[in-house]
Amino acid sequence: MEQNQTHQEQISKFESFYNKRYKLLLLIPVILILLSLVYLVRFNSINGDFIYKDSSLAGGTTLTISNVTVSVEDLKTFLQKDFSDFSIREIRDLASARLIALVIDTTAQPDLIKEKVEEFLGFELDESNSSIEFTGSSLSESFYRQLMIAIVISFVLISLVVFFLFKKVIRSIAIVVAVLGNIILPLALVNILGIKLSAAGIAAFLMLIGYSVDTDILLTSRVLKRNEGRVNQRIFGAFKTGIFITCTALIALLPAFFIVTGLPDSFRQIFLILSFGLCADIINTWLLNAAILKWYEERKK
Amino acid sequence: MKMTWRIWVLIVMLVLALLMIHPNFDSGVLIKSLDQDSPAQLQGLKQGDIIAQINGAKIESLEDYNSVVNDLFKGQEVRLDIVTSKDEFIFLANSLNMTVGELPRTNLKTGLDLSGGARAIIVAENVTLSQEELQDLVDVTSQRLNTFGLRDIIIRPVSDLTGGKYILIEVAGATPQNLKSLIGEQGKFEAKVGNKTVFTGGDKDITHVFRNDATQSAVYPAELISDGNYMSRFTFTITLSPDAAQRHADITKTIPVDPESGGQYLSENLTLILDGKVVEELRISTGLKGQVASQISIQGSGVGSTPDAAVADARASMHTLQTVLITGSLPYKLQIIKIDTISPALGKEFTKGLIVLGIAVFIVVSIIIFARYRRINLSLAVILTMFSEAFITLGIASLLGWNLDAPGIAGIIAGIGTGVGDQILLLDASKKDEKEIYFRERIKLAFFIILGSFATNVASMLPLFWTGAGMLKGFALTTIIGVTVGILITRPAFADIISKIGDK
Repeated sequence: MEQNQTHQEQISKFESFYNKRYKLLLLIPVILILLSLVYLVRFNSINGDFIYKDSSLAGGTTLTISNVTVSVEDLKTFLQKDFSDFSIREIRDLASARLIALVIDTTAQPDLIKEKVEEFLGFELDESNSSIEFTGSSLSESFYRQLMIAIVISFVLISLVVFFLFKKVIRSIAIVVAVLGNIILPLALVNILGIKLSAAGIAAFLMLIGYSVDTDILLTSRVLKRNEGRVNQRIFGAFKTGIFITCTALIALLPAFFIVTGLPDSFRQIFLILSFGLCADIINTWLLNAAILKWYEERKK
Repeated sequence: MKMTWRIWVLIVMLVLALLMIHPNFDSGVLIKSLDQDSPAQLQGLKQGDIIAQINGAKIESLEDYNSVVNDLFKGQEVRLDIVTSKDEFIFLANSLNMTVGELPRTNLKTGLDLSGGARAIIVAENVTLSQEELQDLVDVTSQRLNTFGLRDIIIRPVSDLTGGKYILIEVAGATPQNLKSLIGEQGKFEAKVGNKTVFTGGDKDITHVFRNDATQSAVYPAELISDGNYMSRFTFTITLSPDAAQRHADITKTIPVDPESGGQYLSENLTLILDGKVVEELRISTGLKGQVASQISIQGSGVGSTPDAAVADARASMHTLQTVLITGSLPYKLQIIKIDTISPALGKEFTKGLIVLGIAVFIVVSIIIFARYRRINLSLAVILTMFSEAFITLGIASLLGWNLDAPGIAGIIAGIGTGVGDQILLLDASKKDEKEIYFRERIKLAFFIILGSFATNVASMLPLFWTGAGMLKGFALTTIIGVTVGILITRPAFADIISKIGDK
């Protein structure tokens, strides 16, 4: 009984706030999405593309060297003499801070970079101590183009599914816009952080499309198909379940960043993009989609 | 608790998955290949046998095997006592002539990024191949790699969204140094005198290439040729077909003897050309003039900055040349558009990381679920379902012989995430503290939502099947299998389990 009362209190408190402010809350995701869009357009005009691409998408070489103890700064200075376009990252063991691997990403041919790095290290690189991945520019270009096509197809497919599920245009558009936001916000964030995206990273965006629409489906279904309570109550009920689901998923992704190290780069990037996407999803589902739904459902009456 | 048929389906699937994954607790090394007619093969050792002991020393890992074998053979014949998981073999030999590998712990196969190896994507230059032409190219390339002695290779045609046609080659484990020339070069071999072709590579002109016969094929010690540069020569014999031998006779018949050589050689050389580059100029001794020569000695050299490097280079060149002489030229000029060689050591590190991560995710999610629902049996049901989903997905992956790579594992873990979300949904929908009459409706609605999110998950990953030469197929596949297992097997069972728990 007591539990019921607090539940009621929660709802009434939430209702009075939400009824007054929901259109204002709607502005938060709208502004964020618009800002991200402006940023991405500007980014595109400066860099000639919407993302920073790694060697698997831009063409070039990724050299991963395991178990080395060198100064990354010295290596950088050394390589700068011969290569204009390269980056070096470290994969460290979180607990012992041991350097597990050094990742050099460059547009240069594999033999050239390998030779120079060998010169710096003073020993030969072979498969016992290193991995070399090379992607030719013709393949990477077609790769990239296809992934872009895949994103568009994926987006169209889920839009169709959503429309099939909910039949009405406005409800479906609210979901599709929310999902679009779930891609645009993380994309801007990834660029701001200067992360070079790999093919796996873009695949993560595709997964994000399907992954993040779950809460939107939850919300819209509950608002439309539950007969109990008012719209506000249904939104609040959906929110309590949905936010817990999203937070569980987010926390499940955390160990990949704070507990476990020595994970492949492709893996880490997928997880990073999923976590950005889930954060964006909280904003876009509960502030954007919910507000549009409420506005629409209440106007209908 | 009453067992419903849905729960039984779950149990049966778990058992089947266990059978598919087939965990293996034996120790030893696995024989991956065995030379024909080698002493070990004649004694009855077979590919797939597990070596547990050699001359009394326990073999538990590849390191054990290598150290034992290195100590044993010092050039002379030794008595061997090999114990396999089934039998014991005692025989004399001066080498084992076999390749062995780590005993797989399960039927699960890991992708290149986790097991190490090489991957290449090649494409025919300037031509668009039909499906049959592509298949031909696959066949010739795979014959070439097999002739070279590479086992454990996957080679298949792939096409993608934009109609690009490629050949994907994957070599597990150690990567040969000259993989690039083996797969990337056309291997068009010609032996010419003047501008006339005497013979070309392939079985039309060459009936036999001596490879493992020490008297007919050899690499000589390196010599210093200039400051810090060594050269090592190699030679091996080939047998020409009657046609090619006759051609040799016809062509050399008309060539005059070179007076400067004191009558020893003819005035023109036999030029060996590989892919437009001269490999070697061989002098033709006068005795061969106009002769139907069925055996010809092929020579060449390797260079390096140390004697060892020169010998290794010579050996690799000889091996490549022998391979193209046997298999002949590829029908098209090829271009390597992707080549990756992944260190097995690094892959091991990554695999370890992923296993630890899997466990960590499991524990973290279990804690959250327990913290929210505070009921041990509900939490256990969620954890059990989560585990079942991952386990059945792995079972299906082994059934399909699918190579699990890092993105694939990310797909499984993300799939667990969706699964847990759905279970939370069902748990919240089945709460009895709200009005009882809505219970059925709520469960129905929960399944509507679950189905909807299943459909969108599949729809979003589907395009990846045809993207990027299939390199991201693993990610799409495991995710789709994961959510499908969820919707068909674990979710219905979970709904029954929690309703039974609730009934009590």
